[in-house]
Amino acid sequence: MAPAKKSAAKANAEPSKHNIMSFFGSAQSQGAATGSKTGNRSQSEVKPKATLTKVTKVESDDEQGGKATPKFNWAAAKAARLAGPSNPGSKAVPPAAVSDCLAGLSFVFTGELSSFSREESIDIAKRFCGRVVGQPSSKTDYVVLGDSAGPSKLAAIKKHNLKTLSEDEFLNLIATRKGPGNGKGLTEKEKKKRDKEEKAIRDSAKEMEAREKKAVRGEGSGVARGAKTIDPKMQLWTDRYAPQTLKEVCGNKGQVEKLQQWLNDWSGSLKANFKKPGKNGMNNFRGVMITGPPGIGKTTSAHLCAKLAGFTPIELNASDARSKKLVENSTNIQNTSLDGWMGGGEQTNAAGVVITDKSCLIMDEVDGMSAGDRGGVGALAALIRKTQVPIICIANDRSAPKMKPLVNGTFGLPFRKPDAAQIRSRIMTIVFKEKMQIPANVVDELITGVGSDIRQVLNMLSTWKLHNDTMDYEEGKMLAKANEKYSVLTPFNVIQKILGPYMFSATSRDTLSDKIELYFHDYSFVPLFIQENYLKTNPSRVRDLDGPRKALKQLKLMEKASESLSDGDLVDSLIHGPEQHWTLMPTHAVLSTVRPSSFLYGPGSGYGGPNAMTFPQWLGQNSKQNKLSRALGDVQIRMRLKVSGDKSEIRLSYLPAMFPLIVKPLMEQGSSAVDDVIQEMDDYYISREDWDTVVELGLGEQKDEVVLKKIATATKTALTRKYNSRDHPIPFHKAQDLGKVPKKLPGGPAPDLEEAFDLDDAVDDADDEKKAVDPDDIKLDRLIQDASKRKAAATKGKGAAKGKK
Amino acid sequence: MLWVDDYRPKTLDELHYHVHLSQRLKSLAASGDFPHMLFYGPSGAGKKTRIAATLNELFGSGVEKLKIDQRVFLTPSRKKLDVNVVQSNYHIELTPSEVGNYDRVVIQEILKEIAQTQQVDVSARHRFKVVIINEADSLSRDAQAALRRTMEKYMTNLRIILCVNSTSRLIAPIKSRCLLIRVAAPSQGDMLTVLNHVAKRAGAGSLPEDVADEIITDANGNMRKAILVFEAMKMQSPDLSSSPPIAKPDWETYCYKVADMIIQEQTPQRVMEVRAKLYELLSHCIPATIVLKTIADRVVQKVDESLKADIMHWAAIYENRMRLGNKKIYHLEAWVVKVMSLYKQFFLGIELGDFDDLI
Repeated sequence: MAPAKKSAAKANAEPSKHNIMSFFGSAQSQGAATGSKTGNRSQSEVKPKATLTKVTKVESDDEQGGKATPKFNWAAAKAARLAGPSNPGSKAVPPAAVSDCLAGLSFVFTGELSSFSREESIDIAKRFCGRVVGQPSSKTDYVVLGDSAGPSKLAAIKKHNLKTLSEDEFLNLIATRKGPGNGKGLTEKEKKKRDKEEKAIRDSAKEMEAREKKAVRGEGSGVARGAKTIDPKMQLWTDRYAPQTLKEVCGNKGQVEKLQQWLNDWSGSLKANFKKPGKNGMNNFRGVMITGPPGIGKTTSAHLCAKLAGFTPIELNASDARSKKLVENSTNIQNTSLDGWMGGGEQTNAAGVVITDKSCLIMDEVDGMSAGDRGGVGALAALIRKTQVPIICIANDRSAPKMKPLVNGTFGLPFRKPDAAQIRSRIMTIVFKEKMQIPANVVDELITGVGSDIRQVLNMLSTWKLHNDTMDYEEGKMLAKANEKYSVLTPFNVIQKILGPYMFSATSRDTLSDKIELYFHDYSFVPLFIQENYLKTNPSRVRDLDGPRKALKQLKLMEKASESLSDGDLVDSLIHGPEQHWTLMPTHAVLSTVRPSSFLYGPGSGYGGPNAMTFPQWLGQNSKQNKLSRALGDVQIRMRLKVSGDKSEIRLSYLPAMFPLIVKPLMEQGSSAVDDVIQEMDDYYISREDWDTVVELGLGEQKDEVVLKKIATATKTALTRKYNSRDHPIPFHKAQDLGKVPKKLPGGPAPDLEEAFDLDDAVDDADDEKKAVDPDDIKLDRLIQDASKRKAAATKGKGAAKGKK
Repeated sequence: MLWVDDYRPKTLDELHYHVHLSQRLKSLAASGDFPHMLFYGPSGAGKKTRIAATLNELFGSGVEKLKIDQRVFLTPSRKKLDVNVVQSNYHIELTPSEVGNYDRVVIQEILKEIAQTQQVDVSARHRFKVVIINEADSLSRDAQAALRRTMEKYMTNLRIILCVNSTSRLIAPIKSRCLLIRVAAPSQGDMLTVLNHVAKRAGAGSLPEDVADEIITDANGNMRKAILVFEAMKMQSPDLSSSPPIAKPDWETYCYKVADMIIQEQTPQRVMEVRAKLYELLSHCIPATIVLKTIADRVVQKVDESLKADIMHWAAIYENRMRLGNKKIYHLEAWVVKVMSLYKQFFLGIELGDFDDLI
């Protein structure tokens, strides 16, 4: 941090220096405060096998510890000053009557509780088997109300007449509710539902067992030729428990059914030459592209559907070379399989599906077609246009630029992450079958922990099974944490999080590094997004004020935030300047992202409404500026022979002066002014394209849209035609028109990146050298060539005329 | 053609103002020992005109035969750079700031090329060529450092004339190697003489005094602007008797609009509206400094006396930051918010003394 401080201070004027210093001061103290908090908390997490009573004991330790340390009190007092009456960590979770005391209840949390952060309170509810949902509905049992609850939620509470709990009442509920453990606290309906669920789990486990046994027997009788049946005990769980029927696929039911329908209709649509769209509008397509995050059953569903529809799936994945040539030659798109014939038509595969002469091509991991598979995607797209067999492509991201050739020719089937409820019963079945004892809330925790990746949940369970058959909530949480996927958030999600009301609230447990971490999700975009959107929140810091004081305080906060952004830009210029101080990145993170958000955080209006979070304009505006600046440079250098001014002088003084000469007459007099205008343009060597630039550079009443509306199309065409029909003085020829060989510059600020040197340029280089060999060659001289061409064209024209005669 | 270009003085004798300076340049050119020079002064004061006149004095009218040559360079990252070079037989003029970060290598390349070739024209009055470097104040530090040694080493074959608005961004070693020549903005009397001269040459009849006053005040020492405005007025009403209002350039009117918006309302929404307008100005190639200056001038006209100093103080600070930073809009916006906050605080008359403690 020391160099950061120094350089930033060096770069800044006096007041900002003061700010940076004061910021670091407060940041450190904040860090210290949060540090002490987390220190206390981690005690409770250290003991993974803590039974319920132990947990509560530790929690109460926490409370005492909190009160004992004076440091902690100071932080709490400061937090209270910041956001009204809040005292994080002041209350402990009481010992529950039974471990699943909240089972069967659904909760909605809204507003800020005084002692627990949102995440913590949700965690507590889940630990005691409660269900937490985002939005209140008629089925919600309790709404836990905190300070400044969202108005829409309050409305929903009134509408559905829901029971509300304060923080204390919520804790009391945990302490007193007997839960359904002994069946007393359960209504008849709930009981039935529970029994039904348990029965379903037992049934499907039984079914699985039966199927495995059958497979083992099948191996004995030797029916399955070729495909060896493997002992299920030797298989990975992911293979062993892969869904065998459509019913078993978790989530994305609609999409899977669509796929199934499309495969079933294949022969019909082939006959109709893909003219009949069918029910889903899919039968026009010869290919389907399944997209979605990893581990949600894309490949599995594709294989399953193909098998069930009677196709023999042929899979090509990233382990196969899939270059242009190989894709074109080695895929069997004319459907000439001998598989069915060889087996005598009566064979079945492992799933009991009759092998036929129909095959289906599954291109797995299409987005993995990269460097080695040059032209592969294009070839695949061409293949899909003429294929006779269904082609299913599987990728993670449909919008990736690499997928562009495929997007048009295929029907998109986006697979979504199934939520925990959809996967839970399947996992519970497997757990039951493996004779493990894991309660449902722990399974939920595992599933949400890894982001609904079924494959990963199975892998985690199979490793856990090696040494333990049971798992409690804390263990589940730890396991999920250990296998946590560090997914990269999109900038939109980052700003939602950091500008949202919770990140900086008094009960938040996020440390400064957590906040800085958010910046590093995408360090080039996040600052731009913050700058674009930091004014779009309703700052939580002013929510207690109203009237002029509120307006004034908000302005003060905005002032601090914008000043910090300005500081951030100075640091940015040190990072991206010639000296490349990359070590300043954390400083930039704080100044450009964390600090502005710390002032203006608060509920925003999300994606809808007039104040929706938007993509930064800066990028578009900057490229527009570069484009116009380049065009202005062209105008300036043409005018240079007559005018001494530089670029900005041309824009500031000359363009307004020339507007009445070369644009206004066209607006007012129309085509009759064209001759004068061309005369004026020629005086300054302004070409027809430069005229466009002059118009485009106008502002306000001379903005190009306004101006062009007033010029009749006929006038414009007259200008173009007349201009092109005449000769004009040219101040100079563009270097590229003369075929000049660019001079290579030595050294210079070369970017420190491998990617900056594009491989394709090697070809260009050879080209340049060829040109360099014969610079005197007349044919290379564009001008001479043009002249001779024109002459040739002229004589040709004459010849033709003569011929006609 | 516009008057400003048509009636531009070609020789030192034709120049109307800063007569002493012209004489000095004349004797320098006659002495045969011609130093490197650094011309500085505000825009529209006549720096380039004076440089051209000096060259004319040095080499004769041959320097007026200009041609433009476009050089192409290939950077190590294989980006093509076009550099426009304006040259006569006796001098060469470049604007290295066109190529941004690559200015150092481009300068080295071109200067060495010139330095290593002798003057071929035996009838030339001097053995050296003159290199004019425009916008030298936007040269990167590296490029300026590269220039230092070259200026001494190749003294026999080349003289450098730097042309800048302000010397503050030039490193001291460069300044010490040059003869500094300040071309100050013309005084009101000077401008009146020039305007009358132009009016006479253009056959526009006499220029009424009040109109001239108005033009001169508006131009604020920028001769180019004054003549352009004069011509525009003449076009609008040929007799000048009705004294038409001075036609403000489009960007100036636009900046005034932004200033009015700042005064009218001080809310986050308004800041975002102002931001959109600022983007519009910047993307249409109006330099950020000019934008800030114009808006600040206008805002200051409309606010209470006690706020003026503060607003200008912050404008100066953010102008400095704009030069140090990359993204101009950040600093412009920070200034706008600052002004809004100051204005609101004054307007409501609330003194939030303990406010800083709250944050």
